[in-house]
Amino acid sequence: MASPVVGKKRLSEGLTVTSKVFVRSRNGNASKIVREHYLRNDIPCLSRACQRCGELVAPDANGQLPKFILSPEPLQLKEVGRHYVVVDTNIILQAIDLLENNQIFFDVIVPQTVLDEVRNKSFPIYNRIRTLCQDNEKRFIVFHNEFCEETYVKRLDSESINDRNDRAIRQLCTWYQEHLQSSGINIVLVTNDRLNKESAVKNNITTKNLHEYVELHPNCSELRDLIPTEEFKQREKVEHFFENHYTTSRILGGLKNGTLYQGSVNISSYNFLEGEIKVASLPKPLLLIGSANLNRAFNGDQVVVELLPKSQWKKPSTMIIDDEKLNTNEDPNNEDTQISDRERRLLTQDAIDTQNDSSEVQPTGRVVGIVKRSWRLYVGQIVQNSVSKNTSNSAKSCFVKLMDRTLPRVRIRTRRANELLGQKIVVAIDSWPTTSNHPEGHFVKCLGESESVEAETEALLLEHDVEYRPFSKSVLDCLPPEGHDWVVPKDLEDAEVLRKDPLLPKRKDFRDKLVCSIDPPGCVDIDDALHAQQLPNGNWEVGVHIADVTHFVKPGTPLDAEGASRATSVYLVDKRIDMLPMLLGTDLCSLKPYVERFSFSCIWELDDDANIVNVEFNKSIIKSREAFSYEQAQLRIDDKSQQDDLTKGMRALLRLSKKLKQKRLDAGALNLASPEVKVHMDSETSDPGEVEIKKLFETNSLVEEFMLLANISVARKIYSEYPQTAMLRRHNSPPATNFEKLNDMLRVRKNMAISIESSKALADSLDRCVDPNDEYFNTLLRIMSTRAMTAAEYFSSGSYGYPEFRHYGLAVDIYTHFTSPIRRYCDVVAHRQLAGAIGYEPLDLGHRDKSKMETICKNLNKRHRNAQFAGRASIEYYVGQVMKNNESVETGYVIRVFSNGVVVLVPKFGVESLIKLDDLTSHVESVNFEEDKYQLTFTTQDGKHQRTVAVFDQVKVEVKSILDQSVGKRKAQLVLL
Amino acid sequence: MDGRRWNELRRFQCRINTHPNSADGSSFVEQGNSKVVCIVEGPMEPPSRSQLSATEATLNISLNVTPFSSIDRKRRNKNERRIQEIITSLKRTFEQSIITDKYPRTTISITCHVLTLDGGLISAVTNSITLALIDAGIAMYDYISSVSAGFYDNTPLLDLNQLEENDLSYLTIGIVGKSEKLALLILENKIPLDKLEGVLAIAVAGGHRIRDMMDKEVRRHGELRLSKLANK
Amino acid sequence: MAKGIETSANEKAFIIDALTQGVRTDGRKLDEYRDVKISLGSQYGSVDVTMGETRVLCRISSEIVAPYEDRPFEGLFTVSTEISPMASPMFEQGRQSDDELLITRTVEKAVRRSNALDLESLCIIAGAKCWSIRADVHLLNYDGGFIDASCIAVMTALQHYKKQDITVSGEQVLVHDFSERSPVGLSILHVPICVTFAFFNPHGVEQNIKGDAKEIYVVDPNMQEELLKHGILTVTINKNREVCQVSKAGGLPMDALTLMECSHKAFTIAEKLTNDIKKLIEEDDLQRKGSQWKMLSASNDR
Repeated sequence: MASPVVGKKRLSEGLTVTSKVFVRSRNGNASKIVREHYLRNDIPCLSRACQRCGELVAPDANGQLPKFILSPEPLQLKEVGRHYVVVDTNIILQAIDLLENNQIFFDVIVPQTVLDEVRNKSFPIYNRIRTLCQDNEKRFIVFHNEFCEETYVKRLDSESINDRNDRAIRQLCTWYQEHLQSSGINIVLVTNDRLNKESAVKNNITTKNLHEYVELHPNCSELRDLIPTEEFKQREKVEHFFENHYTTSRILGGLKNGTLYQGSVNISSYNFLEGEIKVASLPKPLLLIGSANLNRAFNGDQVVVELLPKSQWKKPSTMIIDDEKLNTNEDPNNEDTQISDRERRLLTQDAIDTQNDSSEVQPTGRVVGIVKRSWRLYVGQIVQNSVSKNTSNSAKSCFVKLMDRTLPRVRIRTRRANELLGQKIVVAIDSWPTTSNHPEGHFVKCLGESESVEAETEALLLEHDVEYRPFSKSVLDCLPPEGHDWVVPKDLEDAEVLRKDPLLPKRKDFRDKLVCSIDPPGCVDIDDALHAQQLPNGNWEVGVHIADVTHFVKPGTPLDAEGASRATSVYLVDKRIDMLPMLLGTDLCSLKPYVERFSFSCIWELDDDANIVNVEFNKSIIKSREAFSYEQAQLRIDDKSQQDDLTKGMRALLRLSKKLKQKRLDAGALNLASPEVKVHMDSETSDPGEVEIKKLFETNSLVEEFMLLANISVARKIYSEYPQTAMLRRHNSPPATNFEKLNDMLRVRKNMAISIESSKALADSLDRCVDPNDEYFNTLLRIMSTRAMTAAEYFSSGSYGYPEFRHYGLAVDIYTHFTSPIRRYCDVVAHRQLAGAIGYEPLDLGHRDKSKMETICKNLNKRHRNAQFAGRASIEYYVGQVMKNNESVETGYVIRVFSNGVVVLVPKFGVESLIKLDDLTSHVESVNFEEDKYQLTFTTQDGKHQRTVAVFDQVKVEVKSILDQSVGKRKAQLVLL
Repeated sequence: MDGRRWNELRRFQCRINTHPNSADGSSFVEQGNSKVVCIVEGPMEPPSRSQLSATEATLNISLNVTPFSSIDRKRRNKNERRIQEIITSLKRTFEQSIITDKYPRTTISITCHVLTLDGGLISAVTNSITLALIDAGIAMYDYISSVSAGFYDNTPLLDLNQLEENDLSYLTIGIVGKSEKLALLILENKIPLDKLEGVLAIAVAGGHRIRDMMDKEVRRHGELRLSKLANK
Repeated sequence: MAKGIETSANEKAFIIDALTQGVRTDGRKLDEYRDVKISLGSQYGSVDVTMGETRVLCRISSEIVAPYEDRPFEGLFTVSTEISPMASPMFEQGRQSDDELLITRTVEKAVRRSNALDLESLCIIAGAKCWSIRADVHLLNYDGGFIDASCIAVMTALQHYKKQDITVSGEQVLVHDFSERSPVGLSILHVPICVTFAFFNPHGVEQNIKGDAKEIYVVDPNMQEELLKHGILTVTINKNREVCQVSKAGGLPMDALTLMECSHKAFTIAEKLTNDIKKLIEEDDLQRKGSQWKMLSASNDR
């Protein structure tokens, strides 16, 4: 910037000053900006002690006169007497909290120069000081010194902007001093800038630094604590926040010679500045700590990392760091923020904490390149205080806080920031340049008011990448033209029918079997039905009939492609996002009662102990006699008066299923738990009514057992036929490290242990872990064990060796999904492979190609996971809505302890939430965090008692639902009682 | 805001008869940092017959926004639609204010040059044309004075500079003499209907003030001429 | 401007005389808007608007282009108006007259500058790719009120239009066919409606300037009235009581109070028209989805 050239022209009503500034424009050219600047002599001092200014005032556009606010009898203090205070920029930036304190700082004059500087430095603080100026209690005023003839100062040659502004502030003090001389009110300039202070003293202005000024007050001891300790250092403007990523060739070279590692980043959900990355060649995951080391990586990105020297290896942090806490005062228009100091401080403290004991350090790394971004569309909300309130038409920068807490805020430019406040919006991310602290994106669309059912539902679907758009026309064309009128052909021999479906004769006619289905109440997409009947030899013929989806969904059609990409139906509390169009899912494929349907049947001959004597697979035609809910089925079985064949069959099924289950448990199948709840909807208002934990009947497990049996049988069959490409499902045994912490907690707190050598051992040890005083403890432990497990995954049999096919949780050597083709694509593939295996129709090439199968599996796994998350998020939202209406005191369990908070799970609502230390106690110094004992000791809020909270403790908590303003997300807030 | 109150105009300076030798009427208007020179030639015989009207004078306006007038030196196309539109609007406005049937079979040609631009393009140009026409001694019903007014956060603002124009919704009016008659009204951005009246009101008041200042300059110049004549 | 169409002095006097008595030649009241007939085409974004004898056709099209350098976060939107001699002999081929220019500009200002279309949502990849939406307006027959009709046509078409769905993966943009994915609508922020007023001055210019005589104004002038008018005013307003654009390019000077009166009248008309358009679009949408809609929906109640 070159020095401004200033010209003055005298006018009848005042002075004009034209300032000329040269600014470097975007493309490097110098452009000249000329602004007019009007000086006037009718700016009132706004002091009620002043007699002269009263005549000067002019009404504003609404006819209101400016109010004279400064008290004629201001605060009297020793040394300075009755006085008004003038503050400079740094005082406001540093000590805004002190200024807002209502024991100190009355009658403050904020020079316009200062206000402008504050606005350029930090917009949120600017907003706070503006509010303060509107508040008559504290008597803050803004004096427009830049426009006042007497207080305007011209920038001199060789004077920096800052010096000029300081001089302007001093000029203002002098003016006020003279102006108010008659009333005997002094002006005190409060500044921490030493040079400014010296110059001010030269000009006979009473000047104090913040410390001195506070000391003048009689109650200074209380206030002293509030003075910010850290001296504000004007940092050099940082040009680059992040280091450049390495070049592609360097990355490739590094990967080849093993100095660099590639993997996908996994950001901790409790600390957004800490990420983990699993690297094949290292036993422990690499830690990425701090934004500099994360180097712009997003959660889920494929990145290349470099190891940091061993001296920087650390333990995972025990702190909870929230983006909201950290960056509240950041300004989207301005990169140069001092707040990241705070981030740094947190980290150093963290580093000191962990450095001390080096026993558990983990290697740390630094991201040096990003191979593939996981960027998609994100849902978020505009951060309120990053938006200026004025109604202008030009585009403004503002921050968007994303729903996903592990992601940083995104900066967008939009014209509609004000309209979009409080709305859920979708943003896309464009880039994250090294010069920016935040990724940059753009606005895509608005979903609607935050918290409205529509917006929230859409938001969570988008957030979990669930395809919810209607099916396209080309999909529609793949459906049978008869629509809902489609029926199983009456005459199977009819030539016309046979021409259409030449495979029909290969179907078995099971219409005479007494088949029924048992599902959750209100289920419309009935995948499976069962029958049992005693054979002449005393064995049982048991049939599981699965909807024959593949009859309608032929490989290679758009319908198939659509199903493959959706991969699964998603179940939300009030909605179901179908994988296949309704026509198929709820009608033509669904094994509805009383009508004939095509099915794929699995018929076993079981002996009385439920051992498989023989198994046979057939495409078939069935007619379901009845569709039961679990409860109805249970009642029917229990009802002794029912003696028809159907009920008898069901009883046989139940009996056999119990035997099957026992066998499975003996083999070491796990009985794990998850805090699943169900939300009841009020049918009239469709408001969520109450929350309850899912109820289970014996019939639930009846169905489950036979489905497992079918899945296992099918898995064996297709594996034997297609050893390289069979669609299977496996569940890895959990890595020991996952259980280390849990086991340690158990040992320390409860003196128990669980063994994880095999699933059998785990199952047994879990059974042993019972706390006689707390019956929920076992369930709690099961929930926590579930979390330590790895997720089951789909794979094609060529990807692993046979021993690795094991399904750990079910304790079987081979498994697949076959029984729900309406809502899972895996089952569709399994159906086709089975059909090929029994020679019903040739298998599509796509399902015989190893690499194609792997692509399918990858997508299935991803979608499956997303669908689960979406379902949970939906429950969470509704539980939040329920809790909004009823606050209550519930029993909760501590499941994690951090140095600055504890995580509590409330089984009744299935929610868990963090209770921050700040909410537990105000006596921060009393806190003692014993990491090895997993406990946190602190003095309670009233200061009288010591209280200790440890993992597995049962606590009473007050549950309420609060709206997180910044994210617009309702979450459970727990208050420890 | 640049230190003005909501209802204050920018520095308004004008001179007429700035180019006495080269044209029949000329003027120079300065509204804040917007500077416009206007030259009027005529009434004269039209260059081609086709433009001739038996009953009225024909008006020709050309407007040249110089490339060095604004911050980024963009060469403006003379036929840019926005400029063409302004010209048409101006033409329509002045056709109604000049007593055109006094000058049948003639052409009045008006040329405006915008030297620097800092908001208020249309209003500065309108004012300069009015003055130049007066200088040329062309009979008009009354002054047409023009000013822009915008709207910021519930407050109407008068006479916006470029910075404000970029950010705010504003309208430009041309007002006839001391009346409340609007000869010209152009609004290009959104303004709430209920606020429109307030904005119009300050614009009208501002227009009247500009008229007074123009009137003063015309009279000053008239006296100067008169004294020159008397001295001869 | 009227080439070929001249109104005789008698006729002129008659019309003005009638107007002073509050009667218009086509039987309307002074502040009565003509009936607007809107018909939607079979393709998305083609609209045919008829107002009296005036007929306007609007067609929306879209393509993916690079955004302007200085506005990387916004898409492009252009309105082009085609006025051919087909509509009326008064329009010449090739050369744009002042009137045509004003008309084109006003339509463009009304729709584009008022941000009726959310340009930000057209951004695909900032600085690299964005949608460019183009509205082509053709005047088929002219009987006054071209601005009003075009504006209605453009706004209806925009609301009706649906563009192909896209998927962005990295720098690649995949455009999905209509049959592959159902198309998505544009994000319309508000619906500006233009209302034109014509002013007549029965008493001569001089008296008007002195301010004694009040001018007469009529809503939605037809061609004859437009030819005879002394001044014209176009107010663009939306349902949210926001005036988006006012243009009164010279002509008969008018009172500020009259302007306010006109704006309020315009608002009532705009409100009604907006609702009509909305209803029409909804009906069409429903009809298009028809019976297949239920079958295709992926998200269903549990």
